[in-house]
Amino acid sequence: MNDETRRPGDADDEIPSGGGQLNPSGNSEYGSEDLQHLSDLEHVRKRPAMYIGDVTPRGLHHLIYEVVDNSIDEAMAGFASRIEVTIHTDGSVTVEDDGRGIPVEPHEDLSAEMGREISTLEGVMTVLKFGGKFKKGAYQTSGGLHGVGVTVVNFLSQWCEVQVCRDGHIYQQEYERGVPLGPVRKVGTTKKTGTRTTFKPDSTIFQTTKFDFDTIYKRLQELAFLNKGVTIRFHDERVDEADEFCYERGIIEFVEYLNRASDTLHKEVIYFAGSDQGVDYEIAMQYSADYTENLHSYVNNIATIEGGTHVSGFRSALTRTLNTYGKKENIFKDVIPTGDDFREGLTVVISVRVPEPQFGGQTKTRLGNGEIEGIISSAVSENLSRYLEENPKSAKMIVRKGVLAAEAREAARKAKDLLRKRKGAMAGGGLPGKLRDCISREMERCELYLVEGDSAGGSAEGGRLREFQAILPLRGKIINAYKSREDKVLANEEVQSMIQAIGSGIGAEQDVNKRRYNRIIIMTDADVDGSHIRTLLLCFFYRQMYQLVAGGHVYLAQPPLYRVRDKKKTYYVQSEEEMKQQLLERGLSDVVFIPEDHREIRGDELARLCRVLASMEEALVALERRGIQLKTHADRMDPETGKLPVFHVVMGREEQWFSSRKDLDAFMEKAEVSAGHELPVETHETEKQNGEPGETADQTTVHIIELHEVRTINSGLKDLKEFGFDVRSLIPIERTGIETPRYLLRRGENEIGISDLRGLLVAVRDLGQRGLQVVRFKGLGEMNAEELRETTLDPEQRTLVQVSMADAGAADEMFRVLMGDKVEPRREFIEKHALEVQNLDV
Amino acid sequence: MSCPTCGKAFAAAASRALPFCSDRCRLIDLKRWLGEEHGLPLAGGGEDEWA
Repeated sequence: MNDETRRPGDADDEIPSGGGQLNPSGNSEYGSEDLQHLSDLEHVRKRPAMYIGDVTPRGLHHLIYEVVDNSIDEAMAGFASRIEVTIHTDGSVTVEDDGRGIPVEPHEDLSAEMGREISTLEGVMTVLKFGGKFKKGAYQTSGGLHGVGVTVVNFLSQWCEVQVCRDGHIYQQEYERGVPLGPVRKVGTTKKTGTRTTFKPDSTIFQTTKFDFDTIYKRLQELAFLNKGVTIRFHDERVDEADEFCYERGIIEFVEYLNRASDTLHKEVIYFAGSDQGVDYEIAMQYSADYTENLHSYVNNIATIEGGTHVSGFRSALTRTLNTYGKKENIFKDVIPTGDDFREGLTVVISVRVPEPQFGGQTKTRLGNGEIEGIISSAVSENLSRYLEENPKSAKMIVRKGVLAAEAREAARKAKDLLRKRKGAMAGGGLPGKLRDCISREMERCELYLVEGDSAGGSAEGGRLREFQAILPLRGKIINAYKSREDKVLANEEVQSMIQAIGSGIGAEQDVNKRRYNRIIIMTDADVDGSHIRTLLLCFFYRQMYQLVAGGHVYLAQPPLYRVRDKKKTYYVQSEEEMKQQLLERGLSDVVFIPEDHREIRGDELARLCRVLASMEEALVALERRGIQLKTHADRMDPETGKLPVFHVVMGREEQWFSSRKDLDAFMEKAEVSAGHELPVETHETEKQNGEPGETADQTTVHIIELHEVRTINSGLKDLKEFGFDVRSLIPIERTGIETPRYLLRRGENEIGISDLRGLLVAVRDLGQRGLQVVRFKGLGEMNAEELRETTLDPEQRTLVQVSMADAGAADEMFRVLMGDKVEPRREFIEKHALEVQNLDV
Repeated sequence: MSCPTCGKAFAAAASRALPFCSDRCRLIDLKRWLGEEHGLPLAGGGEDEWA
């Protein structure tokens, strides 16, 4: 990066060496030039603001920067590497560098002009715009906001002293309020080179002459970032604090420093630099998780606070490049991010060096040079595109961040629209059309039922207690989500209707005290559809109406699953478990069970037998759902203990079954001894999906599948033993040629043949159902208004479950798993729900 | 807590937009509700598979 540290053509340029540009006549005008010089001094002291902006602390600090800028120029030209700034206890400041030292020999043109021998050093210190006047382009680009240089610093100082080390000697000159106290003189010998300037700002000029540690510290650090490799040491003797800055990686480190407290999206700072049409540029950028843009732009080390053409060139190219990439990679869905969106979380430092910068704007800190825009724009396009292509992972993160910002913007707009609608609601008639509101306005008494499905909504409307119960029917909507997946969502209108009906608002404006109902009751079917909607609603409330959930205002209705008519009597049953229990008890009266050995089991004994069988029922179904037939599994029974295996162990092509943890441990120990080392173990909930165990190549990993349900089965088998039954009694057997059934169930004159014990439960329940009319509601819609009122709406008879924060949080957690990219948890969820439904439909 | 939108971990006491880390993340979530983007997956072949 030689381009960065040294400007072409600079190497041989001494500080003002006297060119031929000045009319060398001179002598005759000796007096007038001298007067001109004096009048310059007077002018600067009378109107300091014209030269340094103002005489506030800002102008005061500017004095230091003017001197430091000279040293930076020397450093950037490759002649200095170290700059020291010291604030002394008396309030004077010393700036010292190890550059070449300002020339001290007599300056020909100036001497001629002034009619006496004047050194270049004295010219620099006492002749306004000496550098610009006598030699253009000493440095191709030079810092300094006003370009007034050290002369003005000298003019505005109570006293000033310059020491130059050059050619083996130390030269010195002192000034008071800009006037030299004598000629430049040799004060000793040295091996060093460099310039050392000490000055004390004039308290008759400035509002205050107290330098601020932090302000100077920050600026010097900034300069060190902007000029890589230059060491800047800052020492404040007043507080005896010192620090040294040197950044070998320059603005890359600047960006890292700015982002030090942020979570960055990509590890490496994006950096590029180059030179085009005499303009050097250097850009470093990195995205973080923050939401604001952190842009620092500089022209010739000057902070361009108002931006300018370099910044606009950067911004337009950034937007264009990221948009092009996002489209190409199909990252955008509905919203296309704008430039603002792509700037969220961006930390960027832009540093350009322009030979002849033009500044505009209120504070003269806006770059005006038109040609810079194109130069920066094409540099950014080219370099950033390449970065994106070469770093696809970071690229996608960056573009997605923009998409998120665009979403936030869109969300803010939509939320505003909603709020506008709600204001309309306050003017009257703004409640959702589907809402069947209650009559009472006593919020404490009022309830809102969110009812799944239109038909259920109809029943609920008819059955509600109109005085204080309102009904809002809701429906899930099926949409085609990405990757050909079908999703169930809450339709936009549904969400809006809920927000409007509830009335407590959302987002920052939510006010739980403005709710129109004291209870929000979610009423959904007891099927998968219903559970989907319930999950969505809970998650919505948890996220967007947090206060409502926290205040305990959200409830779940508990509609019954069965209606039972017993002659003239009608009653309702809440759950399948309860229904089965009731049927079993009813069926047990007056029945006798006759097994193969012809004994008779009846009464309490039969009831206990049925309870044991019922306890095993679900476990047996679960085992079979794994693809393991009870008949097959029974063959694996441990003959000693009579237990079925609980652990299925697969290692390589070998497979083993164990009925106890102890046996498993013993096997593992043996396997490890023979392998000579510990073996990797993976435990699984379910049997491996893909085919044969041996196919998974891996010969050393021990896969353990635990069949939890078998524990329940084993415990049931132990209980069955007391009744004289074993596992075989649960399995149908082939009885070719035998006419009589294996087991017999008798009630009065009726006899029912049963092939295995599992059938006993079914038969008893069937008996229990005789004379009853049992209706399982497929949905709320199957209940009529009267039924719904009796079971679910009437506060005297219904059961409500209050939704706790934990419940809602769990719904949210589940939702997150499902919305996430991980396929495995989604699959598990879907399977789990499939199981639940199978259970429900048994 | 971890923010439902950006996943960032944050202290509950530090947020005024619970359960989100910031109002902005809450807005993004709201927009997803309004935009019908928050969905629960149905089984591959549609609803029939459930029954």
